[in-house]
Amino acid sequence: MSLETRLETVTQEFQKIQKDLSNAIEARQRLDSQLQENEIVQKEFNLLKDDANIYKLIGPVLVKQEKTEAVSNVAKRLEYIRSEIKRVEAQLQDYTQKSESKKTEVIKIQTEYQTKLQQQKQTVVTPNK
Amino acid sequence: MSTTTKTASSQPTVELTDLDLQQLAEIKKQLEEELSHLTNSFAQLKQAQNKFQACIVSVDAVKSGNADAEKVIVDVGTGYYVEKSTDDAIKFFTDKVEYVKKNLESLQQTITTKQNNLRATLDVMQMKISLGSAAAGASAPK
Repeated sequence: MSLETRLETVTQEFQKIQKDLSNAIEARQRLDSQLQENEIVQKEFNLLKDDANIYKLIGPVLVKQEKTEAVSNVAKRLEYIRSEIKRVEAQLQDYTQKSESKKTEVIKIQTEYQTKLQQQKQTVVTPNK
Repeated sequence: MSTTTKTASSQPTVELTDLDLQQLAEIKKQLEEELSHLTNSFAQLKQAQNKFQACIVSVDAVKSGNADAEKVIVDVGTGYYVEKSTDDAIKFFTDKVEYVKKNLESLQQTITTKQNNLRATLDVMQMKISLGSAAAGASAPK
C-alpha cells in the first residue's frame, strides 16, 4: 500500500473513532441529565406523605398511582440509568484509548509522508523557488 | 499583565507562553467551544427559572382568586404529577427557583473563569505573533 493510501485509511479510521467517541459523550451527557431528573423526582417523593396523590402521565391521561409503586418505579429507573452510565463510561474509556493510539499512528504516517515529500523536493531541484 | 489570571490552579501547570501558536490556537478553539456551550446552558437555565417564576405567579392567582381550588396538580418531572395545596405548590416552585439560581451562580463563575482563560490565551497569541513572525515562521511546520 502506498503511503498516501495508508495515510488516508488511517485518517478515516481515526475520524470514525472520533465520531464514536463524540456519540458516547453525548449518550453520557443524556444519561446524566436523566439521572439528575429522576433523582430530583425521588427526592420529591421522599418529602411526600404516604397518602399523597401521585399521578403518572400515560399518553394524554393522568393515571393515579400508589406512592409505593411510583417510588419503586423511579428507583428502578435510577438503577437502570446507573448501570447504563457504567456501560457508557467503559465505552468512553475504550474509545479514548483507541483514539489516542490511532492519533499516534496518523502522526507517524504523516511524518513519514512529509519526509518523503521533502526528499522528493530535494532530488528534483526546481530552479525558481 | 494587570488582570489577575488564575489559570486553573488544579491542573498540572503548563505555562501558556511555553506553547507554540498552533497549540495556542487549539486551546483557543476549545475554550471558545466550551464557552458557547456554557452560555447556551446559562440561557436555558435562565429560561427554566423564568418558567418556575411564572408558575409561582399562576398558583398565587389560583390561591387568591377562585376559592374552589385549594389544590393544584404539579408536574414534578419524568411524567409524574403530584397533588399539592397551593401553599405547598408555591413552596415547591420557590425551591426550584432557588435551586436554579444556585446553578446559575456557579455556572456564571465557570463562564467567567473560561473567559479569563480565553483572554489570557489570546494575549499570549498576540504577543507571540508580534514578537517575531520571523522566528515563529522558522519553527512552524506549515
